[in-house]
Amino acid sequence: MLALVSDCYGMGGGIARYNQDLVEGLAEGGAHILVLPRHGRADGLVLPAGIRQEPPVFNRLLYSLRSLWIGWRHGPFDVVFCGHVYMAPIAWAVARLIGARYWLQTHGTDVWESRPALRRRAIEAADLVTAVSRGTRHILLGWVELPPDRVRVIPDTVQDRFVPGPPPAALRERLALGPGPILLAVGRLSAGERYKGHEQVFGALPALRERFPALVYAVAGGGDDRAYLERRARELAGESAVRFLGFVPEEDLPGLYRLADLYVMPSTQEGFGIVYLEAAACGLRVVGGTGGGSADAVPDGRVGVLVDPSDRAALVAAIAGQLARGKADPAAVEPYRRTHFAAAARRLLARLVDQGRRMRGAA
Amino acid sequence: MCGIAGIFAYLDVAPDADRGELARMNARMARRGPDGSGDWFSADRRVGFTHRRLAIIDLSERGAQPMHSADGRLTITFNGEIYNYRELKAELEAKGCRFRSGSDTEVLLQLYADRGPSMVEALRGMFAFAIWDERTRTLLLARDPLGIKPLYYADDGWTIRFASQAKALLAGGAVSRDPDPAGIVGFHLFGSVPDPFTVWRGIRAVPAGATVLVDAAGPEAPRVYYNIAQSLGRRAGAGGIAAADARRQLSVALHDSVRHHLVADVPVAVFLSAGLDSGALLGTMAELGARDTLAVTLSFAEFKGDRHDEAPLAAEIAARYGARHVVRTVDRAEFERELPAILDAMDMPTIDGINTWFVAKAAHEAGIKVALSGLGADECFGGYPSFTDVPRSVRLMRPFRFVPGLGALARRVLSSAIASGARLHPKSAGVLQYGGDWAGAYLLRRSVFMPWELDGLLDPALAAEGLRRLAPLSHIAAAIQFGRPLGDFDRVAAMETSFYMRNQLLRDADWAGMAHSMEIRVPYVDPFFIAALPPGNVLAAIRAKEAVADVPQPPLPQASRNRSKTGFVTPVGRWMREAGGATRGAGEGAAADVTFSSASRAWALRVWQAGWTGSAAA
Repeated sequence: MLALVSDCYGMGGGIARYNQDLVEGLAEGGAHILVLPRHGRADGLVLPAGIRQEPPVFNRLLYSLRSLWIGWRHGPFDVVFCGHVYMAPIAWAVARLIGARYWLQTHGTDVWESRPALRRRAIEAADLVTAVSRGTRHILLGWVELPPDRVRVIPDTVQDRFVPGPPPAALRERLALGPGPILLAVGRLSAGERYKGHEQVFGALPALRERFPALVYAVAGGGDDRAYLERRARELAGESAVRFLGFVPEEDLPGLYRLADLYVMPSTQEGFGIVYLEAAACGLRVVGGTGGGSADAVPDGRVGVLVDPSDRAALVAAIAGQLARGKADPAAVEPYRRTHFAAAARRLLARLVDQGRRMRGAA
Repeated sequence: MCGIAGIFAYLDVAPDADRGELARMNARMARRGPDGSGDWFSADRRVGFTHRRLAIIDLSERGAQPMHSADGRLTITFNGEIYNYRELKAELEAKGCRFRSGSDTEVLLQLYADRGPSMVEALRGMFAFAIWDERTRTLLLARDPLGIKPLYYADDGWTIRFASQAKALLAGGAVSRDPDPAGIVGFHLFGSVPDPFTVWRGIRAVPAGATVLVDAAGPEAPRVYYNIAQSLGRRAGAGGIAAADARRQLSVALHDSVRHHLVADVPVAVFLSAGLDSGALLGTMAELGARDTLAVTLSFAEFKGDRHDEAPLAAEIAARYGARHVVRTVDRAEFERELPAILDAMDMPTIDGINTWFVAKAAHEAGIKVALSGLGADECFGGYPSFTDVPRSVRLMRPFRFVPGLGALARRVLSSAIASGARLHPKSAGVLQYGGDWAGAYLLRRSVFMPWELDGLLDPALAAEGLRRLAPLSHIAAAIQFGRPLGDFDRVAAMETSFYMRNQLLRDADWAGMAHSMEIRVPYVDPFFIAALPPGNVLAAIRAKEAVADVPQPPLPQASRNRSKTGFVTPVGRWMREAGGATRGAGEGAAADVTFSSASRAWALRVWQAGWTGSAAA
């Protein structure tokens, strides 16, 4: 398999992580994968058996030429995997050139908005499209004409370090959040991502503090919107109700989740909402937002509830209701662990290799 | 004949099959099966089946469903009838299989155990079923070759749900009601929604003659095991035969089909019009030894005593073959009273089904559960005007296709002439543009509205999107492109069978019949029958449409042959048009003056306005 991806080994972030999980899951099943990234070097890393990564090529044109060259010279490849919709046209071209099947991965926002005709054609040409959530799949099928059976869902995975445990005393002391309850949100604070719903939670805090006077909303993450959100927090919730924790390193996240009482981020446009699952895997119940792909990360009442953040009364009721229910059931998160993810990916690869190539030029 | 539904949570992250949802799906189909109801859940709760039973073969509890194989490995929920189940059972018994019941359902289970999913190829009948195989952890969905029984499924990427009715899937509460522009455009073009589309984006039909296998990775692409064009092509390859032999072959084929369609443990009635097709069925039944058959005829109060009334001639046919004859009279008041119930039972928007509704209602009132219908004879024997119109149009208009832009130009000129009062049917503007190829000529013949008219009826963006996704001309062309090129007769037969019969007549027979707990059997819609007929050009040469009158002995009365040439009319067209909001035009006198074609345009809009997508439906 030739994997054309934006990033994989040597990079951080959700998409790199997803691609690593995917190629490793497939390699465990015996697949040989050559990764061609645009960012990130695997120099010095020991990659799992069956996986090789080429040096990155950032320039778009050079990347396209290199993809064609590698497809042509380093094959034969049965499958061309494309890790991002932006690269779909080149993946389509490479797959056609070498007569391989073409697998396209979509993440969420990448197929929600921009819909140029060439990209639509490139998506419609795919032999298999995988989406991280049912919501993304539904949106995609609304504007491209693909047989629904070719559009499959492989949800994001929860890493094994997210498990329940005692709240770390040192962290609790350092953050000094008081007796709580502690509501928590984790994520980049970006002006382009106000759909995450922080402001709506600020607006709900006064009502909640009447019932829980020591309640605190801890907002972890840095970004260009922090100053704006701090101002809004003061306006809507007063001085002490919201605590901005700034950027929290990855390794501290499980501890932070164990410390909190409820995860509250009523986002309306999550591609998947992996943070909800990470929180739930640590035992934290979740209040998420309706819309986008969140329904897949909060599948039922064992994990939490989704609420329309613009309905303040519903938001207050949801938060109070979930606080009363205590811990989430970590068993609900088990199907999102890596072993399930890898097995699902291997099944799709087997089906893809089994099925004939689509007719040339068929949409 | 029954209603089936089920849920399979195939992806690990999906919640278990929900009991409440399955119960709601079952309840929406209560009328399909008043004789029993059953549910089943797998031990791990990942799979749930439900079933509404209309008991027809093996009326005992041993025939109840969902049914399991003796070893517990297989579970089935099945809607339909297998007419060759006794032959298949004998074959399986010869191989050592032991049976616990006299039902055709158990034969399906044992046949699956013996042959796997390819078992569908051996079945003669009408069916839609689901089989859960615990050993392979796969779900098989299967639908009969010509699409007599409906089967819909909704796959959200985690869980697949299936049901006999699209509205049952919606009633479950977990399936999106988002509109599908392709299905909506399809309804406005054809008057019925073309398979596999529905008017809901999340719901698709299992194509006729196909199976869908679902495993832990979700549903695979439908696997087609029967194709009408291929079957007609194979039949044509058999070569020509003499006219007398051809008539004999037709007679043998019809006797064989009717004999198979009489398999039941309850009385089998017949829907009898004054025409040849249903009369030939009754005559053949009598010849095969069916005694005291109940024949049900629909009569309209407005026609009482005039030449349009079918009852007197039907009575003559019934008397000739010793049938008990029931004439059920319907008037306009009853139609209007029933309209809300009709629209509620209508599973998908359609411009027809009203006649079937009332004849099924009449049969139900007479205590009948099963009736034969002449549906499909016109597709087999070339009974529609399309069999001559479409080939003629292609021949005459083909030269104009080679002048680029001429067709579109002519259509624009004619459309504006029609808009400013020229007395032409609006569709006629498309003759040059569409008439020169098979798909276009067929669309022109069968369509309610033409593609260029949609912008005035639907949101233009939705119409454009729907046309792009449906691609009506290539959709039609696909029905005749399979294997060898077909002759004129077979091309039209393949298109009529794949569109008008499948999406309109058969679907309407299902919802309108099942709303009265009535199983409608269609001996003319049977791949074994179609394959046993002479080739299409021979059928045309012997005028099979009329020759069928001589199949039973004694043959049908002369009067019914004469009548078949004058055509049939019902007042339903006018009722529909007036229910659709159109007023009676100047000079329109008798009910018969309102053709079905002109009625259907107003009626189609009325049906669509009843509200299908979004929160109001189901």
